[in-house]
Amino acid sequence: MTAAAANIDDVFRALGDPTRRKIIEQLSAKPVSASALAEPLGITLTAVGQHIRVLERSGLVQSEKVGRVRTCRVRAAGFAVIERWIDSQRTLWQTRLDRLAQVLEEPE
Amino acid sequence: MEANPVVHNTFVLMRDYSRPPESVFRAFSDVATKRRWFAEGDHHLVEQFELDFRVGGAERLRYRLSPKTPFPNALIAAEGVCLDIVPDRRVVIASAMTFESRPISVTLVTATLTAIDSGTRLTCIHQGVFFDGADGPQIREAGWVKLLERLGTAV
Repeated sequence: MTAAAANIDDVFRALGDPTRRKIIEQLSAKPVSASALAEPLGITLTAVGQHIRVLERSGLVQSEKVGRVRTCRVRAAGFAVIERWIDSQRTLWQTRLDRLAQVLEEPE
Repeated sequence: MEANPVVHNTFVLMRDYSRPPESVFRAFSDVATKRRWFAEGDHHLVEQFELDFRVGGAERLRYRLSPKTPFPNALIAAEGVCLDIVPDRRVVIASAMTFESRPISVTLVTATLTAIDSGTRLTCIHQGVFFDGADGPQIREAGWVKLLERLGTAV
């Protein structure tokens, strides 16, 4: 999945976790290596890697590995409201039409 | 994306329902029924839903995003008008949406009902123009940037 096609639900999920919000907050200041993220958060490098993967899937963060260092940065385009809005409208209508099925299933 | 003042987007959704077209049409024409599938949602609270189901009649929806979303309590409003109604066949509604009072999109939704053996096939064509012009950067500031600031104070 491309970042632009990432679902608004992925964004909600990504931002629903306090550790991931701290990571975004740090990255919004400047690009940071995964190991430098782990230290102040008091979590393992493995745990940071899992959070980064969720954030990457949401399109909010991108990372790049050079040698042994993985550098993470905020992906500005991931915050493009218009793309998110279009995604959210599509998701909204899908949910609506599924809910319509439930309403129609009820006895009249 | 950044260079364009507006973005046009069309998507088509299709669903088959096990009820006849009259029943599906009623879910569009009856305000209480439409409120349940169209207005209500898990991620927001409905403040207002009105539907004057006739050509030229208005559809008004106002809701606030729930506290768990990235935009807690943000007000989204849609002011629509019914443009075409063919009983048991078609409903066309155009609506202008605002996000915290700023225009964000205008959409034209065409719902077509077709009788099939198992019930009704609904085809929903959603055509939208999404504004990223003068208001876009403001929305960006009010939205995601504000979110980042809020995260700074919340964590």
